[in-house]
Amino acid sequence: MSHPSPRRPERVARYKPPKDKSPSDDPIPEYMNLLAMVFSICGLMLKMKWAAWAAVYCSFISYANSRSSDDAKQLFSSFMLSASAVIMSYLQNPGPMQLPW
Amino acid sequence: MTLSFVLFLVLAFLRTSGANDDDDFSEFDDELEVEVESEEDAFADEFDKYTEDASQETDSDEFTTPEDDDEDHFSDEEEFEGYDTDRKPSEGQGKPDLKILQTSNVAMRSTWNSYVIEILMIAGLLVYAVNYTIGRSKNSSLASAWYQAHKEILESNFEIVGDDGTAKEATSGTLVKQTENLFTLWCSGRVCCEGMLVELKLLKRQDLMATIGKLLKPGGDVVRLTIDLGDIEMDPFVFAVLPTRMAAKLHKELQDLSNFCTERKGGEKYGLPNSLSVLSETPEVINSFLNSQVVQEIVKYDGIFESMHISDQYTGLIESADTQDSAAAPVTPQKLMIFTFKIPGKGRSVMPSHMGLTLPLVKMALRFIDKVKQIRMSREAKDKAAKRRLKVGESLLKQTHAQRQEAAQQRREDKRRAEKERIMEENDPVKARKLEEREHKKAMKRMQPKMKQMKVRMS
Repeated sequence: MSHPSPRRPERVARYKPPKDKSPSDDPIPEYMNLLAMVFSICGLMLKMKWAAWAAVYCSFISYANSRSSDDAKQLFSSFMLSASAVIMSYLQNPGPMQLPW
Repeated sequence: MTLSFVLFLVLAFLRTSGANDDDDFSEFDDELEVEVESEEDAFADEFDKYTEDASQETDSDEFTTPEDDDEDHFSDEEEFEGYDTDRKPSEGQGKPDLKILQTSNVAMRSTWNSYVIEILMIAGLLVYAVNYTIGRSKNSSLASAWYQAHKEILESNFEIVGDDGTAKEATSGTLVKQTENLFTLWCSGRVCCEGMLVELKLLKRQDLMATIGKLLKPGGDVVRLTIDLGDIEMDPFVFAVLPTRMAAKLHKELQDLSNFCTERKGGEKYGLPNSLSVLSETPEVINSFLNSQVVQEIVKYDGIFESMHISDQYTGLIESADTQDSAAAPVTPQKLMIFTFKIPGKGRSVMPSHMGLTLPLVKMALRFIDKVKQIRMSREAKDKAAKRRLKVGESLLKQTHAQRQEAAQQRREDKRRAEKERIMEENDPVKARKLEEREHKKAMKRMQPKMKQMKVRMS
C-alpha cells in the first residue's frame, strides 16, 4: 500500500527573505569595511605604508565575507581607496616599507 | 676679498690699455705691467691660497690694497645684516673638520632585497586570492552535491523545491547563495506545513583568515532545517533535544525554552547518547517523540545529528533590555520545528559525496511534520500548558506595558512640540491667537479629572 503523496500544490507559499536579518549575525564584513577605510585614510594622510597595506587586506577580507545582497559598489570603492592609498604612499616615498616596531 | 682683487685687476687692465698720461699713477705703471703679465698665475695662486684659508677670516694685506677705498663698503660691518661680529675666527686649524653624512641613496640601493616586505605582502594577497577561488568553488560543489543527494526526497514531499521569491510564479531548482558559505533552499507545498527552509551553513573556506581561525576553534559544516508549521492544529508543547555542551546556554537564551521548559534531563535516560540533553514542557510528549525508531536513528547517526527543537511558542532569542526596541510590536509566537545536522569530519577533507550522509535524518525530520499533528496530550497536561501560556503572556504584557506607556508619552510630547512650533511659525497674528486658544483649551481639558458619566433613569 503506497502512502498518499503529501504534496499540495494549493499550499505553495513563496519564499520571503528574512527582513529582520540583523547585521549582528555576521558583523565581519562591516567591521572589515570600516577598518579598510580607516587604514586607507591613515595611509594617505599620515603616509604610513603598513596602514595602506593593511587596508588592502581588510578590503579583501570584507569582500570574501560579504553577502550577495550587499552593495558591490561600496566594496569596490573600498578596495579602490585602499589601492590608491598604497600607490600614493609609494609615489611619495619610493623606498621600502619600515614596519612600525 | 676676491671681488676686490678682481676689481683691482680689471681696473689695472683698463689703465694699461687706455692712454693714461696721468703722471700721478706713473710710478705704478711698471708694477701693473708685471702684474698683467703674470695675471693668470697670480690669480691661480691667489685662488689656491683662498681655498686653503677658507675658514680663516683674515685681514691680511693679500686681499686689501691701498687702492681699496672704493671697496670700503665690504669691510664696513654696517653694510652687512645678520653678521655676527662676536664670532672669532678659528686659527691654525689646518684642514677643515668636515663631516660627510651617510644618507640613504635610494637610487643607488634600489635592489629587490630591500623590498622583502612588499614582496611578502603581494605574495600574501595572491595566496588569499587563490584560497578564495578554491574555497568558493569547493563550497559551491558541496552545496550542489547536497541538493542533488536530497532532491528526490524533497520533490516527493514538496510541490516547490528551490524558490528564490523573485520570479512572478513560484519556481523550483534554485539554491540561493546568501554568501560564499551560506546557501538556502525554500521548499513549499506540503500538507501540515507552510514550508521548509534548508540552510547550508558551510565553513568559510573562501576566507583564509577564517580558515586559520578554525584551527583554533574547530567547527564543521551544518545543515539546518526550519519547518514552519503555519497554523496547523497541534497540542501546545515545547520540546527540544540539544547537545549537552550547549543545552544550558540555549535554555537561558531561547525565550520559549526559558519560559516553558522547567528542567533539563540527560539523554541517557531515554536511550540517547550522553552528549544529548532533553528539554520538555510536558513529560508525556518526550515518550511520544522519542520512540524506539527515532532513538535508534539518532544513536546510529550520532555523529550527524546535532539538535531538534519543536515548539508552538517559538519567538527566538530573549532580547536584552538595551537592545529591545520599545516601539516595536511584540513578536508573535510561531509553530516551528528546527532540526540541525552536521556533516562529519569537522570541515577537514569533506567531499561532495559526504553531503548525502544527512539523507536518513532529513527523512526523519519530514516524518516528524506529520507526527506533530498526531501527538495527543492528556487533558490535564493541556490545561496546564494553556495556563502557563496565559501567565507568560500576561507577564510579557506587563513588561512591555511600561515601555509602551513611555512610547505613548513620547509621542504625545512630540505632537505638542510640533503644535507649538506651528504656532511660533505662524505669521498671521489672528491665526496664531486662534491656535493658541485651541491649544489652551486642550490643555485645560487634559488637566480636568476624567469622570465617568452615568445615566440615571428617573422613574
